[in-house]
Amino acid sequence: MRFAKRPDPTFLSIGAALVLGLSACGGEEAPSEGAPTEGATTESADSGAPVGAARVLTAQDLVIPDPDRPHDSVEFVETESESVADRLLAFSDKLRKREFEALSDFFTEDFVGSPLDSWPKKEGGPTEWPLDISRTEFDVEGDVAPLDREGFEASIQRVVGGWSRVESVLWKVKGAEFQKGLRSWGKVRLKLHLLGEQPGGSMVAVHGWADARVTNRDGKYRLDRFRLTELGQETRQRPMFVEVAAAAGLAHTWARFGTDANQSFHWNGAASGDVDGDGDWDLFVPSDGKNFLYLAQPDGTWSESAVASGVAGPPEGTGAIFFDCDRDGDQDLMVGHVGWREPGGGAGGERIRLYLNDGKGKYTEFQGGGFGPNGFGKAFIAYTLTAFDYDGDGWLDVHVCAYGRVESEHNDSWIEATNGSPNGLLRCLGKDADGTFLGFEDAAEKAGVVDSRWSYAAAASDVDLDGDIDLFVANDYGSNRMWVNQGDGTFKDGAEAMGVADRGNGMGAAFGDLTSDGRPDLYIANMSSTAGNRILGRLSDDIDPDTHAMLKKLAAGNSIFAAGADGKGFERLPRGNGGIGASWAWSTALTDLDLDGDLDVFCTNGFVTGKLPFDT
Amino acid sequence: MVASSCGETSSTKKFQTEAVGNAGFLARHNGEIFREGRSFSGNERDKLFLNQGDGSFLDVSDLSGADSANDGRAVIAFDADGDFDVDLFVHETQRERHALYRNDIQVPVEENGAIKVQLRAVTGNEEAIGATVVASVGDTKVAQVLSRGAGFVSCQAPELIFGLGVEEMADVTVHWPGGGSETFTELNSGTAYLLVEGVGRAQVLDVVERPLPDPMRRGVNVRVGEKVTSIPVQGEGGAVLALDVAELSAGKDVYLNFWASYCGPCVAELPILDAWNTAGEVSVVAVSVDAPSARERAAALLKERAPGLALRFSVDPPPSGAPAAPAAIVDLARLPLPTTLILGPDGTVKRILQRPVDEEKDRPGSK
Repeated sequence: MRFAKRPDPTFLSIGAALVLGLSACGGEEAPSEGAPTEGATTESADSGAPVGAARVLTAQDLVIPDPDRPHDSVEFVETESESVADRLLAFSDKLRKREFEALSDFFTEDFVGSPLDSWPKKEGGPTEWPLDISRTEFDVEGDVAPLDREGFEASIQRVVGGWSRVESVLWKVKGAEFQKGLRSWGKVRLKLHLLGEQPGGSMVAVHGWADARVTNRDGKYRLDRFRLTELGQETRQRPMFVEVAAAAGLAHTWARFGTDANQSFHWNGAASGDVDGDGDWDLFVPSDGKNFLYLAQPDGTWSESAVASGVAGPPEGTGAIFFDCDRDGDQDLMVGHVGWREPGGGAGGERIRLYLNDGKGKYTEFQGGGFGPNGFGKAFIAYTLTAFDYDGDGWLDVHVCAYGRVESEHNDSWIEATNGSPNGLLRCLGKDADGTFLGFEDAAEKAGVVDSRWSYAAAASDVDLDGDIDLFVANDYGSNRMWVNQGDGTFKDGAEAMGVADRGNGMGAAFGDLTSDGRPDLYIANMSSTAGNRILGRLSDDIDPDTHAMLKKLAAGNSIFAAGADGKGFERLPRGNGGIGASWAWSTALTDLDLDGDLDVFCTNGFVTGKLPFDT
Repeated sequence: MVASSCGETSSTKKFQTEAVGNAGFLARHNGEIFREGRSFSGNERDKLFLNQGDGSFLDVSDLSGADSANDGRAVIAFDADGDFDVDLFVHETQRERHALYRNDIQVPVEENGAIKVQLRAVTGNEEAIGATVVASVGDTKVAQVLSRGAGFVSCQAPELIFGLGVEEMADVTVHWPGGGSETFTELNSGTAYLLVEGVGRAQVLDVVERPLPDPMRRGVNVRVGEKVTSIPVQGEGGAVLALDVAELSAGKDVYLNFWASYCGPCVAELPILDAWNTAGEVSVVAVSVDAPSARERAAALLKERAPGLALRFSVDPPPSGAPAAPAAIVDLARLPLPTTLILGPDGTVKRILQRPVDEEKDRPGSK
């Protein structure tokens, strides 16, 4: 059984909600049905005559007052926000599938809203972004008459009905306030995003912000007022990248996450290197069920060769690295696995494996110094493996990021958890006088890098410019480490001093020069949460400013730290510089995708996408 | 439904930042919610932030084509095909798990070229892992670090690619592990080099060019040249039929068209298809992919616009969540509309049109 048990409906801290975006409260205070109408018809212009064809709608109909008696219970507001969010995700799903007939259920009969189309362009017209991206901002303050429900639905249909394909629709709740009373109504801040393809293959993205009033008259929230505050659109004649895995022989289609075949939280990595010395890039991809070794072929395809090449090994590997550990001129392969020692002393999971290359791309699993028939002697809950020669002896060593055992352990803090499992530093022992490869030993303790934070990722670079290689480790549920190499086979943590402790939910890290000054900067992929930010927006009055700032950072997302000139520290790039707005980010590659001379950021993103429109 | 429980209602005031709730942690690693098909930070697409040269970034993810929502984990950025730009391999968590994104930005090479460098150290470890490599391009300097194992569970290929913009050459300084630095001058755009420590002169590497294939057509699960012998559809009244292509054809080409009532260009081309079908030039099968709630509207539209065509719908998706038929031919979740497959009398796919048919170019018998 890989899954943890269903949680008991016990105490849930706000900390958890901030970090994970969980709803903070049950439905005990859900609005009761059959209660007298309130809110839905307050203040606004529709309290008299019902809206309909008989009445001309004006901008005045779109005025959405703030609740004058707002709910102040964070739990209540967040629960209601989640209800609204789920309704909007269901709406988004119908729109993505273009089930236009199903849309009316999401609007009140007397709905009034801004159209999604027919706005004039903002002064200045379309502006160009790089790479031939055409960008249009619309003047939503312009003189366009509001629409009733039918008109609004027609407007939506005009926008996405003309597309040849709808890739994604997401309407998200970014803020909410609810009026006290038996009947729920709320004023919500919405972020809109629609992505698709137009006939002819051009890409189109529509995004905007809106204020809306939602009412709950029969147990379901519906949009009642909708006023756009921002609307923009970007198009490009064709996508920048084309996905060719199937044609290139790399396709591997697997079950949805959450099904029996795909339910492990042991995330699988990827590694590239020249396995057979023919000058092109092969790929090793550990996976559920089996490993893949893709050998590049001259015709632009890859052929899968894990069994024939001797790396079928145990599946479900995590981080994997190609490197020449025995220094015989070819690329060996180390594969991380999640392993642990059972309380009774038995071995659980799998151990790190090492496969040695014969120079022609055939591998033999190494069973010598430190390694037995089941891999490395010591168990690690291993994720990112990072090769570098920390002690300067010419042999490449490997840092092992170790996480916690999620099936049985809980982080002991949301902001400074220290009950993960100890990280490893596999020191290469080189060869003996006969040339026999001696394998690895765990030297983490000796080197001073034993750390039981929840470590997912690391990256190596000479950050203090003294010639030896230092190591940054990104930790989940807490602060990061910057292991500064002391040059004598030991490390000291300089994360605080260098300004990169970056307490957060670190998932990935990479060095690369993002400021084009010749110095490698540090990019950290973190988690952020819509719900967390929503809650924080309401908490500022209730907690001290330092705590609020710290929590805000926890929910804020990725970080870019620019390296100083002297190798002594880093400085966070301002939020306004952009480049950090992922959500639940994982790996990152800092690379020049458009070859214009600076490094861009690619970042994998998202925890689990289910088949239902509801998100947690 | 997940981990929903009320603590004290006054917990706002007594904010406990260090408190840990088991429920929250377990929810994150709780298979139950995922088995039900709920998302948890789902539909968050992979991101591409374009550097504007000054450390500020534009989010161009929407138009990247490399923004899968299959919950990516590892990413490899490498020149997969030897054409001097950066392609991406992403290991996703589910469904289409291995994605290879061919870089099709297609900036003219004379405007935006690149050099590629590999390293060989002499004094320390040969692979020079952790070396900082700085390319001086025009007035700017850009540094990259040679890594084996970084990001999240990702091991990059040991080759660094430096875009040169409009410049034709660059000088490259390597800060070798161990402390030595060395500059290799006048490296030319469009060239791959091996930089050997202490030699001071860059050695030109042969580049294996191996163009990546074109993708399968989006949402189409058969290629030109493959055969479609039977087309599962739902007829009027919901009966599932397997249309036999050879029987339909009677020696003519079969135009298998996918359309929907909400798709303007689809509705516009229906009369053309109807006319060809009625004239006996081809046999047209027009399959509406409308949701059940919209089928009435689709039926009315077909009757009005193309009265000669039989009413055909895609088969309702099975409750198991498996893809809806005709999944062997098209993936309805990804198929752009309109799409028309032109099949020969034996079912061989002759052409795939992912645009409205053209009265001249796509007329039966035309090439």
